Amino acid sequence: MRRKLPIFVLAVVAALATAGIAAATNGGLTPVQPESPNASHTLTAYYVILGFTAAIFVLVEGLLVAFIWKYRSRGRARTVEGPQVHGHSRLEVIWTVIPVLILAVIGAVVFFQLPKIDSAPASANPIHITVEGHQFYWQFDYPNKTRSINTLYVPVGAVVDLKVVATDVIHSWWIPALGGKIQAIPGRVNHTWFMAEKAGTYEGQCAELCGVYHASMTAQVVAESQSAYDAYIGSQAAATIGKQEWSGVCATCHGNLGQGGYGPNIASNSLVIQVAGLEQILRNGFNGPTGAMPPVGDTWNSTQIRALVAYVKTNVYKAAPVGGTTP
Amino acid sequence: MATRSEAVYPVGWKSGRVASWLVTVDHKRIGIMYIATSIFFFALGGILALLMRAQLATPGEHFLTKNSYNEVMTMHGTTMIFLVVVPIMAGFGNFLVPLMIGARDMAFPRLNALSYWLFLLGGLVLWLSWFSKGGTAHAGWWSYPTLSEAMPWASPGHGQDYWILAIHILTLSSVLGAINFIVTIHHMRTPGMTWMRMPLFVWAMETYSILLVVAMPAISAAVTLLLLDRNFGTHFFIPGHGGSLLLYQHMFWFFGHPEVYIMVLPAFGMISEILPVFSRKPIFGYKAVAFSTLAIAFFSMLVWAHHMFTTGMGIGLDGFFMISSMVIAVPTGIKIFNWLATTWRGNLIFDSPLLFSFGFLALFTFGGLTGIFLAAFPVDWQLNDSYFIVAHFHYVAFGGIVFALFAGLYYWWPKMFGRMLDERLAKLNFWLMFIGFNMTFLPMHMLGLLGMPRRVYTYHHGGLWEIYNSISTAGGVLTAIGVAVFVANIWITHVLRKGARVGNDPWLADTLEWYATSPPPPHNFDSVPYVTSARPLRDLRRRLAEEAT
Repeated sequence: MRRKLPIFVLAVVAALATAGIAAATNGGLTPVQPESPNASHTLTAYYVILGFTAAIFVLVEGLLVAFIWKYRSRGRARTVEGPQVHGHSRLEVIWTVIPVLILAVIGAVVFFQLPKIDSAPASANPIHITVEGHQFYWQFDYPNKTRSINTLYVPVGAVVDLKVVATDVIHSWWIPALGGKIQAIPGRVNHTWFMAEKAGTYEGQCAELCGVYHASMTAQVVAESQSAYDAYIGSQAAATIGKQEWSGVCATCHGNLGQGGYGPNIASNSLVIQVAGLEQILRNGFNGPTGAMPPVGDTWNSTQIRALVAYVKTNVYKAAPVGGTTP
Repeated sequence: MATRSEAVYPVGWKSGRVASWLVTVDHKRIGIMYIATSIFFFALGGILALLMRAQLATPGEHFLTKNSYNEVMTMHGTTMIFLVVVPIMAGFGNFLVPLMIGARDMAFPRLNALSYWLFLLGGLVLWLSWFSKGGTAHAGWWSYPTLSEAMPWASPGHGQDYWILAIHILTLSSVLGAINFIVTIHHMRTPGMTWMRMPLFVWAMETYSILLVVAMPAISAAVTLLLLDRNFGTHFFIPGHGGSLLLYQHMFWFFGHPEVYIMVLPAFGMISEILPVFSRKPIFGYKAVAFSTLAIAFFSMLVWAHHMFTTGMGIGLDGFFMISSMVIAVPTGIKIFNWLATTWRGNLIFDSPLLFSFGFLALFTFGGLTGIFLAAFPVDWQLNDSYFIVAHFHYVAFGGIVFALFAGLYYWWPKMFGRMLDERLAKLNFWLMFIGFNMTFLPMHMLGLLGMPRRVYTYHHGGLWEIYNSISTAGGVLTAIGVAVFVANIWITHVLRKGARVGNDPWLADTLEWYATSPPPPHNFDSVPYVTSARPLRDLRRRLAEEAT
């Protein structure tokens, strides 16, 4: 036992140090700092459950350790029996009823917090935004029909109602600071909401396995002033949509310069500057010899596709020395 | 009778060293083959886990990316569930149930052999799919459509089809085995062994079998529809043509949650056998433990959609499944308290089976408690599909089930092979695994709370994300070393023949399997004592002691 002591002390010190770092930076002992009312109330429910479960944990593990210490054999022979107790009805009732009561309290707390987590404040006049999950990007449709990709812009303090949909596979919308997840399921319409309380950028990513680039399917919510938001959806979004499409959608597989990666090199493929041909591929996908491209642009309008071609023409496309290659 | 003895004592070529195993219908040999095959797949699945941990050790690695990672992740889950835990339980059940109830074999020995060979076939089909066109399935062990459909951007190639085929074969194997267990337990108990005198492990196997019969057809149906979608142009799960993705999720989890209990109930049964023997006391609250098993099985059929809280089912269904999931915590709690009470004022003999059982108790309790966070559906909206979930179910599946399995292996090893495994190596095995396990999975809770989703092949955050992931990978290596010590122990015991030979009953245990020799002869018993309590061997020892004085 003595030989093991230094190892034990080392392990305890390491554990405490890690816990210390974690606690000092709120590093994962509770959900991330909430910045939206639904996330705050989720945290409240989390704390209530944490309180009860921590108490049960200390009780059970404490008894376990105490019994191990107290009733260890200490060299008694195997033939020495403990008291032949076969059970105790009253104890059985006690440890059935008390957990039922604890769970009832937890359930009550959840239902008490639920309205404030599940639904937006009734008086609010929410901004309705559609979130569409795609392999492997998020597309946001604002009330005035403009679009943005991967970055959602919202005014600070406004209630935002999200209509969450998908067309290819299941995705899951999750910005931890702004509340819980909701799956984007093809063929279904789901809703969630948030209200960013402070200006800032909130990060999250797709939480349901959606294919090869699941890990790259990140999303940002930028909460800014009402005037900045108006300016964004008024003109900036439309002005930058070509760039957003390239860097948020195409570049994931084909590389920032179109140099290729998981997908083939397309930097000098003349197809990328032909509106009609590109539109065909974006809408229907492409099943090539080296792999398949999903129909990433199946919900894009022709303005978007022209914007993409325009962006690619000036920023990505390099005419091949000896003619184009087919994809 | 003549044909029977022919089966038990094979003649001619069938008695060869290898051939006798290939043609055996002896429940003990089939049980050992189940266990050995499962341990082999456990090693393969463990290697896959280490590959994933290597990829995730630091941000932005390029060790195992994208589709390869998804294949490894899918194969790890499918292997551990369908090729390790479920069949190893069938293995222990096969070896132990007839011995524990004083029977000579399972009710249908040939069917039993068929179950094993189907299991092996299923495992081979799954693992050979690495060589199929497009590699293995890579849509996760749930294989949710549309990602598992045949569209070129989803799961083209044949890996998913082989996955479906493997599930079909394994389902058949499990259901046949389950029917065999049910018939055996109902009809072949030795005189005097009433239901209330049956070992608790047998109760667990009865419940395991009932759950298999009830739950397995649901996944068979689900993957059949998926197969039709993929190959025959149907649209059960293709929404544009009227299919429903939620339908698959409901069908899958209607199997998937009972599956959790299919895996954990026999582990509970092992703990209920081992704790009393090493505490030198009877199990505290036999009836409470037995009936809580049935209660858990019943409620396990009513909780499936708690895996689907983030699909937008609506508050009504969410609320129902939260309450039913919390209800299931009550019989589980009853078990934990009864196990604790069993050790109270005992004479705790710290042999490795007890050590692993206490490891099980400590870790399973933790995993059960984190489950309460997940049952509370608004909190689950935050935690679902994050690393918190990965941490939670590994505390249950590894901390719970695998630790119980090691307890069971060390406990019944001398019965199976007649030699004792080395105790010092067993303890080293325990401590390496216990520390390694906690290092691997405790930080995963924090990662999930920090926002790391499961099933990502990489991440780009340094700081705490990196620290926790690195600790986790180091813990994985330590765990693997622990398992390697176990393999070394088997080597030293049997190949180097260092293990001490044992008699019938080295632990002074309570149940009938210890009445047979170690290892038991093909026909198990020459005679079986009339059973007058749940602890026939203790009764026998006391009777002998009285006669001696």
